[in-house]
Amino acid sequence: MINATAPLLDVRDLTVTINREGRLVTALDKVSFFVNPGEVLGIVGESGAGKSITGAAIIDLLVPPLKRTGGTITLAGERLDQLSPKAMRGVRGGRIGFVFQDPMTSLNPVITIGQQLCDTIQAHLKLGGNQTKKRAHDWLDRVGLPNPDVQFKRYPHQLSGGMRQRVVIALALCADPVLVIADEPTTALDVSVQAHILELLRDLHRESNVSMMLITHDLGVIAKMADRVAVLYAGRVAEIGPVGELFNAPRHPYTRGLIRATPMPSATGEMRLDQIPGAMPGLGAVPPGCAFNPRCFRAEGDCRATIPPLYRQESSAFSCFHPLERVPA
Amino acid sequence: MSASDFLVLNHVSKVYRRNQSLIERLKKSESGGTKAVSDVSLTVRHGETMGLVGESGCGKSTLARLVSGLMAPTSGEISFPPNASGNKSRLQMIFQDPYSSLNGRWTIEDIIAEPIRVHKLRTGSAAIRARVDELLVQVGLSAADAEKYPQEFSGGQRQRICIARALAGEPDFLVLDEPTSALDVSVQAQILNLLRDLQKNLHLTSLFITHNLSVVRIMADRIGVMYLGELVEEATSEELFRKPRHPYTRLLIDAAPDMDTSDRSLHPIAGELPNPAFPPSGCRFHTRCPFAQEICRNTSPPQKATESGGMFRCHFDLDLSDATVFPPAAQVRMA
Ligand SMILES: Nc1ncnc2c1ncn2[C@@H]1O[C@H](COP(=O)(O)OP(=O)(O)OP(=O)(O)O)[C@@H](O)[C@H]1O
Ligand SMILES: Nc1ncnc2c1ncn2[C@@H]1O[C@H](COP(=O)(O)OP(=O)(O)OP(=O)(O)O)[C@@H](O)[C@H]1O
Ligand code: SF4
Ligand code: SF4
Ligand SMILES: [Mg+2]
Ligand SMILES: [Mg+2]
Repeated sequence: MINATAPLLDVRDLTVTINREGRLVTALDKVSFFVNPGEVLGIVGESGAGKSITGAAIIDLLVPPLKRTGGTITLAGERLDQLSPKAMRGVRGGRIGFVFQDPMTSLNPVITIGQQLCDTIQAHLKLGGNQTKKRAHDWLDRVGLPNPDVQFKRYPHQLSGGMRQRVVIALALCADPVLVIADEPTTALDVSVQAHILELLRDLHRESNVSMMLITHDLGVIAKMADRVAVLYAGRVAEIGPVGELFNAPRHPYTRGLIRATPMPSATGEMRLDQIPGAMPGLGAVPPGCAFNPRCFRAEGDCRATIPPLYRQESSAFSCFHPLERVPA
Repeated sequence: MSASDFLVLNHVSKVYRRNQSLIERLKKSESGGTKAVSDVSLTVRHGETMGLVGESGCGKSTLARLVSGLMAPTSGEISFPPNASGNKSRLQMIFQDPYSSLNGRWTIEDIIAEPIRVHKLRTGSAAIRARVDELLVQVGLSAADAEKYPQEFSGGQRQRICIARALAGEPDFLVLDEPTSALDVSVQAQILNLLRDLQKNLHLTSLFITHNLSVVRIMADRIGVMYLGELVEEATSEELFRKPRHPYTRLLIDAAPDMDTSDRSLHPIAGELPNPAFPPSGCRFHTRCPFAQEICRNTSPPQKATESGGMFRCHFDLDLSDATVFPPAAQVRMA
């Protein structure tokens, strides 16, 4: 059951553990967020924060030693976390499409790209052979492959990296999903090609109004693409907010630290670069209390004792006992 | 050549020979290789940080290896003019990957002490150990870390160790090839700040290579922009960003998304990066350049000097100081 105000995807207290020789280590610790219909939710954080695991957990692609051990995942009213593995296979590539950083993880090197598209379409939509083929052609055209007729019969290795990622995007979208999870879709590409792929994702999003989870460590990509942003730190949600608010008036000290540590010219042209001391703790080395406390300039006694809860207000949330005032970053 | 010249590259080229097929050998064809660096002339002055930017495969690392003497150019000369004291300059390199560039079976002390021993900069183990401790503190680690092994450190800490090792050789020239590309932004900021302090305090001359324009803007006094093996523009950092002279520089600056959430426009560069092994004829950028004319397809553009001591390679003197170039709409087709 969907109505205008209900989120399309609702993730609550998602917890993932890693089994390290019998010792259970928490990789995702009660992660909660939602994605509204037609919305682009950016997921940002540094390497190891748990971004990819979050995406993989939603489509049930975690493999041992990783295991989902708690929380609920609801897509359009349906509990995905309770589905059988077989039913989940129907959701993957069907109602949820996905795009990974390395296009070759999604492509089969020995099957032509046309055939791969046809296979995906046939697996998820009840279409006849000719219609399937036509749809596959149309998608190659839509994602901007020159001469779709020729490309149809080509193999992944015959395409450039940027063109391969276009094919993966076609694969993710060709079965009319309601949600696309894109995990670092442009990270492996050069800047000049990256902007093409972002533009393509944006155009397709506007046409289809599909919801998107865009996972990246690149704040510039987030600033251009996301409606709302979730910031992850050490397997927990630090802050969630509308993109403009989050960039211009973050509440969580880590969010502001991350923004200010990114080398970028400011509006007036000068460059700034503020560092955060230390580094994100590795798995199993998360300090007690707030995970950010050893690096935080606002940390006090309570931060070292208790994990701050996620304080929610409308479309934003933050997990901090001593949040920043709403002043420009 | 002036007294302050530290490193001079004169028409330097490097061709990687590919195994030629029999037919190619019979035809004695000239296409048997990738010209990874093509006719690059560049001068780095004493105490200056020269930045090099460009997309993957444009020849940045090849140029770094040439300058470091790890391989010889196919043609052209690379020279370090002797300085006043007549000493030969000492060079150290820092690479992108702090994981593979440290030997996991050596302690941090062994790793940092090696260049000290090789260059006989200190004698006696007590003096060497004292120097190692000093270097560890200088890069933001502690003397106690000397007994540990590389695996015990995070990526950012390992890059600090690499920097300490490089400094241990008491170089007057540092070649840094993507030194922070493998690091997270919060850690990258620490390393960039550390390198900036070291540059200032130790009066190092350096070649700083990265694909990230914002990073090079922070680090470099002057910046060279490479495209498919060629140096297409060179200017002071300030001027390059304020008034780029080559269309590729302008488009590259605009292509990287900034953090302004009020202007969400994207600025892709038309077409794709051509295979560096088969660069386009004439101006190598002509397949993607919104200003390309007939002459660009056939004739390779000359190097032009700017009033302020910079250089660019384009047939035209374009005014590109406006924030964004909108190429003529009809030409924006996928290559
Ligand atoms: N298969 C696995 N086995 C053990 N640990 C894992 C596995 N996959 C991920 N991890 C660990 O889980 C943590 C979160 O990983 P994840 O891949 O989600 O990070 P990420 O935020 O996507 O980082 P990146 O930006 O590097 O992709 C990391 O510490 C990682 O080392
Ligand atoms: N040892 C080699 N043998 C043959 N070709 C090589 C070799 N090393 C590099 N090349 C080729 O030379 C060109 C320039 O490579 P180089 O590594 O210098 O580029 P780069 O600018 O450092 O790229 P990146 O940003 O990806 O590091 C590329 O086309 C590359 O494939
Ligand atoms: S809870 Fe405390 S330590 Fe954590 S971010 Fe907030 S102020 Fe800093
Ligand atoms: S020479 Fe021609 S193609 Fe090359 S950059 Fe200048 S205008 Fe563009
Ligand atoms: Mg990841
Ligand atoms: Mg390189």
